[in-house]
Amino acid sequence: MKLLTEEKCADTSVTLCRSCDLVIRKRALPSSVRALCPRCHTAIYDAPYCSLNGMLALCLTALIFFVPANLLPVIELHFLGSIRTTTIFEGAMAVANQGYWVVAIAVLTSAVIAPGLLLLSVLSQILIIKYRLEVPFFRDILKRLLKYHGLLSQLTMLEIYMISIFISVFQLRDYTDIHLEMGTFCFAMLFLVTLFLQREYHLEHMWSLLND
Amino acid sequence: MTSPSEQAHRTQGKDVGLTLCPSCKQLMPHAENHCSRCGSILALRDYSSLQKSWALLITAAILLIPANIYPITIFTSQGHTRHDTIFTGITHLIDLDILPIAVILFTASILVPILKICGLTIYLLAISFRLPISKKRLMVGFHVIEWIGRWSMLDLFVISITAALVNMGQLLDARPGPAATAFALVILLTQVAAKVLDTRLLWDRLESKDDAN
Repeated sequence: MKLLTEEKCADTSVTLCRSCDLVIRKRALPSSVRALCPRCHTAIYDAPYCSLNGMLALCLTALIFFVPANLLPVIELHFLGSIRTTTIFEGAMAVANQGYWVVAIAVLTSAVIAPGLLLLSVLSQILIIKYRLEVPFFRDILKRLLKYHGLLSQLTMLEIYMISIFISVFQLRDYTDIHLEMGTFCFAMLFLVTLFLQREYHLEHMWSLLND
Repeated sequence: MTSPSEQAHRTQGKDVGLTLCPSCKQLMPHAENHCSRCGSILALRDYSSLQKSWALLITAAILLIPANIYPITIFTSQGHTRHDTIFTGITHLIDLDILPIAVILFTASILVPILKICGLTIYLLAISFRLPISKKRLMVGFHVIEWIGRWSMLDLFVISITAALVNMGQLLDARPGPAATAFALVILLTQVAAKVLDTRLLWDRLESKDDAN
């Protein structure tokens, strides 16, 4: 390893650990096995299994569920004959209307805006790569989308919102009648499809597609 | 992935003149200023990240106090109003015999933020003062902190759902309290504090003597 020189950068058999900077020699991995850094146990790379068509299908499915998941009521409450429903957006607005706009922004970003942008970003990445749009303009867009992908996927918190819905149901069950609505079903489907999409998606593999 | 031959080599990227691009993880010689693939600025180590991380963490630790002292929900049921802080909210759930939910909320809104702030403090202290703590354990703890931190959002989501549903004046009403903003900022700041830190500093600072443990 001491023979490493600067020209060796192009060599794909060596990599560095992103958390502890250790030089690591890459090996071929069977699929669904992940290589960990021998020193600090950070995940370093895994065998990229990243089918563009599969991701495109998942992405489109997620986008189809995205609209009803956000527009249809998630929970319905029956209390002394009056019926109240709420959507994710209304939840955030209810908090904002009482002056807690920091909370509202946090809820809106992690449950509506970030997942939406994430899906649109993945869709456009796939389309640009799939139809080989080699124009500098599209390459530039692809670069930017890839750069912000990490941030978007960290801001996406669909799974936490999903659990929150169930917790609210349990909490309010003592006071009133609570019903889950069509919105919950769409939201659960959106969450599942996005989960599989994020498992399939492989940021470093996408970056390497930009190189070719 | 560890083999005896690899154990012997503890070569770091900075010793052989290589660095990883911070945004696209491409291997680059560190003599370069910009990544050839994505154009990000390359830095061998980000020394200012330690200060930034400390600043964010201290702010978060201060905000944790109002987040726990002030009421986070104001709940009215048949004309009777109760102000719940995070803690009394959870004890109320235990009184109602909804133990599983109480455990989940306790973990998400008390245990995780406190563990996160303590964990990050230990981590930053270890880097700043070269404390002799096992680096491997610190790193495992750091990954746990990074992963678990977002689950604190649970409480805020629950508040927003209940506030939207339950608004029937004197009969039944739920509203967020002043602690909600402080709590949201604690989550945000600790998450950014962990994100901004250049973890490679840990492995440079504590020199090789406790590398193996």
